[in-house]
Amino acid sequence: MADHGVVDPGAQHWPTPTGQGFGRVLVAVYGIFALAATSRSAVQIATELYKAPLAYLLSAFAALVYIVATVSLARGDMTSRRLATVAITIELVGVLIVGAASEWFASVFQHPTVWTGFGSGYGFVPLVLPFVGLWWLRHTR
Amino acid sequence: MTGTYATVVTVVALLLAGWALICTALNRRPTLLLFAAGVLLEALLLVFAVGGVVQMAGSDLHFARAEFVGYLLGCLAIPPLAFYWARGEKSRSGMVVIALAFLIIPVMVLRVQQVWAGSVG
Repeated sequence: MADHGVVDPGAQHWPTPTGQGFGRVLVAVYGIFALAATSRSAVQIATELYKAPLAYLLSAFAALVYIVATVSLARGDMTSRRLATVAITIELVGVLIVGAASEWFASVFQHPTVWTGFGSGYGFVPLVLPFVGLWWLRHTR
Repeated sequence: MTGTYATVVTVVALLLAGWALICTALNRRPTLLLFAAGVLLEALLLVFAVGGVVQMAGSDLHFARAEFVGYLLGCLAIPPLAFYWARGEKSRSGMVVIALAFLIIPVMVLRVQQVWAGSVG
């Protein structure tokens, strides 16, 4: 962790690692969602993809986004920060679009994903998480 | 799968979660005793997983078997991952991570039971 008090004047400014302090908790929550979404979509796709291809492929996509966000937030170097920003932005757009679409076109979304109903099946954590993630990335910059 | 043993696992996990949350509030770092309690929970989960798979093999009920095993293995992965990820954290966040892991175990046990009962597709 950078010591902001006694910085060498010539030294480059290193951002706070995203995987420490509050970041530990954030990474843990992202990890839980990565695990939940991955296990759910793996089984859905393996056994009954034909039933609801859109919903199940969306589940897999969400799982991938959560995995990338978890790993990149945990690593926390400059490249990982950019990757995390992209992943979490996609997550935010995804939960908003899928949330809205599942309200308006309910017939297409009879088989739920993590993002259906703005994440209502998961206590709306999927809706709150990207905002917290983006805030944390700004906060630690 | 819906028997007394699942209840025992749930109660132990909730007690440990309460312990970890109190430690978080008191700003304590993880101790060897908490780690030992985590190992105990892991042992309980291992028996739960083995028992679940044995019970599944001996049953001709129709349910999502891959998902069932997936959740059992997921349960087993959580405590070690939490302790690994919480190590070396200077703030109280490490304890929050451990508390979260203990809190998620009852949810996982519930999902295992739901899959067993066939209500989750």
